[in-house]
Amino acid sequence: MSDERLKELLQRADETAGAPVFRQPHASEIRRQMSRRRLKIAALPAAAVLLIGAGLATICLRSTHKPPQPQQRIATVEAQLLQLQAQTDAVLKLVHEVLEKDRQEEQLTALEAELASIPDAAEEIERQVDKTAFVMLYRADRLYKQLRQTDSAVEAYKEIIQLFPENQWADVARERLSQIQEHRINNSKTKGVKKCEPRNV
Amino acid sequence: MASNMAAMAKKSEELALVERFRRGDDSAFDGIVEKHSAAIAALANRLLGWPQDVEDIVQDVFVAAFTGLKTFRGDCHLRTWLFTITINRCRSYRYRRILRLRRTPLDDAVPAPARGRNAEEAAMATETFDRIRRAVRALPAKYREVVVLRYLQQLETNEICEILGISPNTMQVRLNRARKHLREDLAQLIEGKS
Repeated sequence: MSDERLKELLQRADETAGAPVFRQPHASEIRRQMSRRRLKIAALPAAAVLLIGAGLATICLRSTHKPPQPQQRIATVEAQLLQLQAQTDAVLKLVHEVLEKDRQEEQLTALEAELASIPDAAEEIERQVDKTAFVMLYRADRLYKQLRQTDSAVEAYKEIIQLFPENQWADVARERLSQIQEHRINNSKTKGVKKCEPRNV
Repeated sequence: MASNMAAMAKKSEELALVERFRRGDDSAFDGIVEKHSAAIAALANRLLGWPQDVEDIVQDVFVAAFTGLKTFRGDCHLRTWLFTITINRCRSYRYRRILRLRRTPLDDAVPAPARGRNAEEAAMATETFDRIRRAVRALPAKYREVVVLRYLQQLETNEICEILGISPNTMQVRLNRARKHLREDLAQLIEGKS
């Protein structure tokens, strides 16, 4: 039998067997199930300790006292039962308290993690301002260097300085403005010299 | 190259989900369950001999994943890790079942009706596929696992080795032996077909 034939047969046999039946478990459900398990794990040793204690107490009482009258015995057993009941209640209460504390700690950890994942608002605003100033500077540079629209570029640089005077990109805009100014002065000087030169040499 | 990039993207997406779960986001775990539960149920169903009701196993696998995800290192894909848990759960489930002397009924699978064939052909097909499933069920566990992962889950050799914790040579040997068993069991059927 070839490998392919075997594979085909197995796959067809699998297809005809029908789909599996199951229900998707949810995280909250599993969490509940696990806390129940933990409670069981905590309660079992506590109950065992109580039983052993009760057994030992009974043995001690039997060895130290003379056999009491039936009524006295009933009263003693009742008292012991009450004591046992009180002890069990106390242990169960303790178990519940421990579980509740566990749950609260888990919630606290989750909240702390959530808080840690949220970025600082002030930092975020500063970052956004910086980004906006940079984008504006980039556009102004494009107007000046690529499109040769010096007047519009000057307006844009001034706007950056006006909107974000403390920002690092405002300093760059100031530099650009002074460069443009120098360039203009130089141009006007050159033109002035040319005016004075004789036209026919 | 592209497949490598896709695999890396998938892995980082899985790790992000795991990280979200570690930070206490239950919806991340629900996302993992939604993504992988169908594949896990299918694998458990096949490994246990198609009993169809695999709710307990799926539940067990995700409870184990819930506790284990905190220590998941991300050395392998999440699916590989979940499949390993599924295989272990199925092994212990079968072991418990053997201890309780409970045998899986062999005729519990409800066959889907074959379309476009007459009733006789459909009945023959049903019998044939029942026999194939019985042959797979009769395989020793270590051979059945390899057959299911290779032919039915259609996994790559390296992933099968990772899941079962065996070398490629061992896997090949198990696969050959499983094929031999199946050939012996189904020889008559194949001869009859041909």
